[in-house]
Amino acid sequence: MMPGKPAVADADWIGVVLALLLTLFIALPLIVVGTWAFSEIWRYPAVIPQQFGLRYWSLTLSRTDVWEALFLSLRLATTVTILSAVICLPAAYAFARMTFPGRNILFLSFLASHAFPKFGLLVAIAGIFLQIGLISTFWGVVLIQLVGTLMLMIWIPVAAFQNVDRRMEEAARDAGAAPLRVFWSITLPQAAPTIVAAVLLTFVATFYETEGAWLIGAPEIRTMPVLMVTFINNQIVVQYGAVLSVMLWVPSFIALMFARRVVGTGTFAKGLGA
Amino acid sequence: MRRSMTFALPARGFALASNQGWVGLALVALPVLLLAWLIIYPIVSAVTDTLFVAQPDGSSALSFASYRFFFSDQYSRANLWVTLWTTLVCGALLLAIGLPIALYLRFSRGPLSAYVQGLAIFPMFVPSIILSYALIRTIGPNGAVDVLLNAVGLPKLPSPYLTPWGPVIGLVWDNLPLTVLMLTAGLGNVPKTSIEAARDVGASPLRVLWSIIMPRMVNSLLVTTSFAILGIFSSFTLPYLLGPASPEMMGPFMQRTFSDMNDPVNALTQAVIAFGFCLGFGIFYVRSVARNRGGV
Repeated sequence: MMPGKPAVADADWIGVVLALLLTLFIALPLIVVGTWAFSEIWRYPAVIPQQFGLRYWSLTLSRTDVWEALFLSLRLATTVTILSAVICLPAAYAFARMTFPGRNILFLSFLASHAFPKFGLLVAIAGIFLQIGLISTFWGVVLIQLVGTLMLMIWIPVAAFQNVDRRMEEAARDAGAAPLRVFWSITLPQAAPTIVAAVLLTFVATFYETEGAWLIGAPEIRTMPVLMVTFINNQIVVQYGAVLSVMLWVPSFIALMFARRVVGTGTFAKGLGA
Repeated sequence: MRRSMTFALPARGFALASNQGWVGLALVALPVLLLAWLIIYPIVSAVTDTLFVAQPDGSSALSFASYRFFFSDQYSRANLWVTLWTTLVCGALLLAIGLPIALYLRFSRGPLSAYVQGLAIFPMFVPSIILSYALIRTIGPNGAVDVLLNAVGLPKLPSPYLTPWGPVIGLVWDNLPLTVLMLTAGLGNVPKTSIEAARDVGASPLRVLWSIIMPRMVNSLLVTTSFAILGIFSSFTLPYLLGPASPEMMGPFMQRTFSDMNDPVNALTQAVIAFGFCLGFGIFYVRSVARNRGGV
């Protein structure tokens, strides 16, 4: 028992150092953006902005390009999420509960979307889209973002369907319930929280997807992240980007926290092969 | 339960199984076809389009011209070099930062540990476009780092923004959560009892790390590194916004060649070269995930 005590003290000391360094590295950039969004004048070298205020919120929100990009992004993310759910959820059910030839190989083949360097893959897809005229169109961006959601929307729901209590389904069947009724009243309610989380994650990830939208959508399709890239490139007023960051990030953060509570952080790592 | 049912009704069970085969295949057909059309086919087509070039007489012939151009062009080579450098530095930094955090999280409990975990995982919830924006204001000229150094009376540091170190900082920030999560999951395979046994016979912490923990972590370390390398090698947003204009990483280079220069053949060549450099890591990644999961 002797070595136990110093080990605990060591761990705490290490923990304090790690916590301090991580706070500086992770939290500082976010605090800076948050402060910029609510400051009207912040000139070097002041540590605290000379003047706080909400003036830039109304200025940002009166820009038409901001509203156009916001509605386009919402329309895109909704379309992609619905399509992805319609295509992937039945497949996830089949992978989890049915036996058919090639089941394992087909399931693992979805890893292919993660096994290649992503931007190279996007360029290869763009090469195909160029030949069939999908560059700079709404549906071109939908398709390229849809591919990115496949693995998430299949792997997480598969786990959900596998975790459903089979004995309850069989009890319902023994009591004379039809298969569809069993699915609707027993299977779906148990799998629902995880599936909702997967849908939410897909929506948020699609909303912020920048690379595909930039490569395929330019110049006609300007989503919210693409608009923020142009704000950075053109170096117009600092606060515009800061306001957009805070405004967009808060709702997505709440959605992601919910998803994380349901799915559990470990599942992400497991899904990625840890 | 299932077994007893099929046992009682063998005939019905058999009919169900063969029926299920078709229903199952039909249900998975759409995503599998999408995968074939938008992942497999573009990769194959990128390779063939860059190797079999259309000739004046309408036929196509094997040609390495675009690859020869890439490797003889000094600018392309510089871009490849800076990409390899960034990938290597980020990979090393991620392990150097992620491993101590993962070790700490594995062997301690309490509010401080929860705080460290929360912070380490936090970047997962920050999209890279917002991160880029935040980092420009933090490490950029007259950014928050300069402000803080000035406030405590220290001289300014040379800003990493628009140098190769800019993307390194952003990519490490962005990839830290998954590195920590995957390493923590890997450390779960190291039983506490064997560590305590080694401590009881007087092994130093370093010795425990090297002889007990590391050998059981090899696979997990390799998967984590492979995954990080696949993500970093062809990253786009962070190097595009935080990195120098020249030389640029492969991601921005491909984008510029494709969109701004209107040169799909050379962009596809760059993509195939990126596939080539990452092939080993991709295969390793798929193989170990497949082995861990063993299918569905």
